[in-house]
Amino acid sequence: MAHAAHTPSVNIGDGNSRCGNITHSFNTTFYKSDEDEQIMRWLSPLEPSNRHQGVRTDRLDGVGGWLLETSEFREWRGGRGGADKGILFCSGNPGVGKTYLR
Amino acid sequence: MIDSLCDEEREEEIAVACLYCDFLAQQEQTVTNIMGAILKQLVGRGGIPNDVRDAFEKGKKEIGGRGLLLSDLMRMLRAAISSLSRVFICIDALDECLPKYLPELLKSLGYIVQECPRTKIFLTGRPHVREAIQRYFAGVVVIPISPNTDDVKNYLEMRLDRDDDPEAMDGDLRAAIEEVILDKMSDMYVELFQLYR
Repeated sequence: MAHAAHTPSVNIGDGNSRCGNITHSFNTTFYKSDEDEQIMRWLSPLEPSNRHQGVRTDRLDGVGGWLLETSEFREWRGGRGGADKGILFCSGNPGVGKTYLR
Repeated sequence: MIDSLCDEEREEEIAVACLYCDFLAQQEQTVTNIMGAILKQLVGRGGIPNDVRDAFEKGKKEIGGRGLLLSDLMRMLRAAISSLSRVFICIDALDECLPKYLPELLKSLGYIVQECPRTKIFLTGRPHVREAIQRYFAGVVVIPISPNTDDVKNYLEMRLDRDDDPEAMDGDLRAAIEEVILDKMSDMYVELFQLYR
């Protein structure tokens, strides 16, 4: 069976659909059939991976790398989680680069 | 962030799902649609689980097809997460989520970490949503993000390298641009912040 990359057939205008061409493994969604595609659209009309592709294209490599080295991040990433420990909140004013953290 | 987690994903059995809140899409970004988009990414990689397929078939029999209820979605999401060894959920710009949806969204995320403690959730947002987040997650870890001089310098160099009129650029001009922008950096953010308030 031929696998086809999914592109939304309608313009859903959710701001998450900036780009069409998707190459990274995370962004590539293969649906086996029309029904699978219908199920995916039924689950949600949003396509966040399209917006993600735009962000990763515009991002300069290494930006925000400092965050990965902080003890807060390491604890959150490697910890056992549970309760509130599983949640990390990056807070910052508009334009400081929260979206573009690597 | 999503890509850093994805790079590890290839080594371990980790799934990463993301969502970018967008004030231009506020009406469409309901809690059900957001949670549906998370589930979609988690099940999209393997095959669609039977419980999701069954719920879809059942809904289709209703006149005009039935929309999803948040409670059904959360049940499917819990099942999908339990079948994975680790799950990361990243939600960007919580402040752009419609305020009336935010409490329900945080409650739903709270349900996930409670039911599936191995789930890690990464959130970003402007400082004013911190209070709302802490109301639901008192012990949440907060990392303040501020402009990083090295990041800005690297970005600036990249942009100057790509300048489409290289003839007009020389070492002195380049140095002057960098100096002024880095010097004004903190002021710019203060002004921008005030503008938004």
